[in-house]
Amino acid sequence: MSKLEFHFTPVDEPSEAEATQNPHAKDTTFNPEVVQALQTEFGEDVKEVFLYANEHTVYVSKDRIVDVCRFLKEEQGFTYLVDLGGIDRFTDEDRYEVFYNLVNIKTSKRLRLKTRIDEESGSLPSVTGVFRAAGWNEREAFDMFGLHFEGHQDLRRMYMPEDFEYHPLRKEFPLLGVPGSLPLPPQTPEAGLTLDPFAAAHGSKPIKSYEEAASEE
Amino acid sequence: MSDDILGGEGFLTTRVDAVVNWARSNSLMPMPMGLACCAIEMMAFAAPKYDVARFGSEAMRFSPRQADLMIVAGWVSYKMAHAVRRVWDQMADPKWCIAMGACASTGGMHRCYGVVQGCDNFLPVDVYIPGCPPRPEAVIHALMDIQEKVRNQHSVATDAHEGKGAAEPMPLRPRILTPSGDSSITPARLYGTEEG
Repeated sequence: MSKLEFHFTPVDEPSEAEATQNPHAKDTTFNPEVVQALQTEFGEDVKEVFLYANEHTVYVSKDRIVDVCRFLKEEQGFTYLVDLGGIDRFTDEDRYEVFYNLVNIKTSKRLRLKTRIDEESGSLPSVTGVFRAAGWNEREAFDMFGLHFEGHQDLRRMYMPEDFEYHPLRKEFPLLGVPGSLPLPPQTPEAGLTLDPFAAAHGSKPIKSYEEAASEE
Repeated sequence: MSDDILGGEGFLTTRVDAVVNWARSNSLMPMPMGLACCAIEMMAFAAPKYDVARFGSEAMRFSPRQADLMIVAGWVSYKMAHAVRRVWDQMADPKWCIAMGACASTGGMHRCYGVVQGCDNFLPVDVYIPGCPPRPEAVIHALMDIQEKVRNQHSVATDAHEGKGAAEPMPLRPRILTPSGDSSITPARLYGTEEG
């Protein structure tokens, strides 16, 4: 097995060998039939199909992402949403990107979907109606990038405190954070606590996961 | 020292502080605040190979009411800091704190928005342990430093004679009782079997 070398950056066009050869993976990520089916079904809304290291990445327009996911799930058997997350490309146009990693368990095929969001709107449709597992991932992307997933039942912050005012994985957010934006505990023994760490034990009742609204299906 | 320090009297004199500190330092009950991978080394520290039972601290107490030594093992996020502080407040005095590892001491490699850059931002840390993670021996050494600090505290006598505002004495190295070559103390004299 050859040594893994990275001499490709997204700026360059991959060469023929780089696009089709991947000694480190099996052919699970190469699925031209699914790409062909997507192009037939959605036409112009499949914006670009990208092949690198024998892996297909399909860029779709964000307005049709729910339809694409439903088509892949119901017609193509991609029933398993492995991962979903945000990317900040820090470009002038189409600044944010959301990726969807799907798996067809029966045929052992993987597909990477991507959709791009411009900075002004910052919103895209939620796929929780198709894949209910996307709920927490979309909450994470909302927390970290401030992307608004329209149709999400419970779009709260996932990790940061609910009154936090920033989205920390955006490129313009300083690495060490904004001083004073997160409260520290008191520094003297006499001072009162600045935040209740056990809010649920003291009467606050956040929504439990089993109380969330059911998906469309 | 006179020859009859232990000879035949049946008692010895000491300070209350010495007895209290001896008891406290040899029965420190750690509160394992395990937050990350350092907690794995902390388990090794308590497990048979390194055997902190030799130092009387094998009883990890998961209730803060029963613990008097908090070992902060791992990075502390801003959200967790409030819980750590609440647990610390629930521990009864006297209590001590060890910041175990680079992350608990300074934030370590987690130089980012979500991690407190050192748990001494909100806890009175007594001993810092370097390392990522520290070896169990280093944790034992930190425990011995805490024991040294406890042994050199003058709580009772200082409070009685000088009030609570008295300055803490300089810490001393542990005094290890070794045979000093003084031949006047023999097992026979010590246990009272010698004649005369």
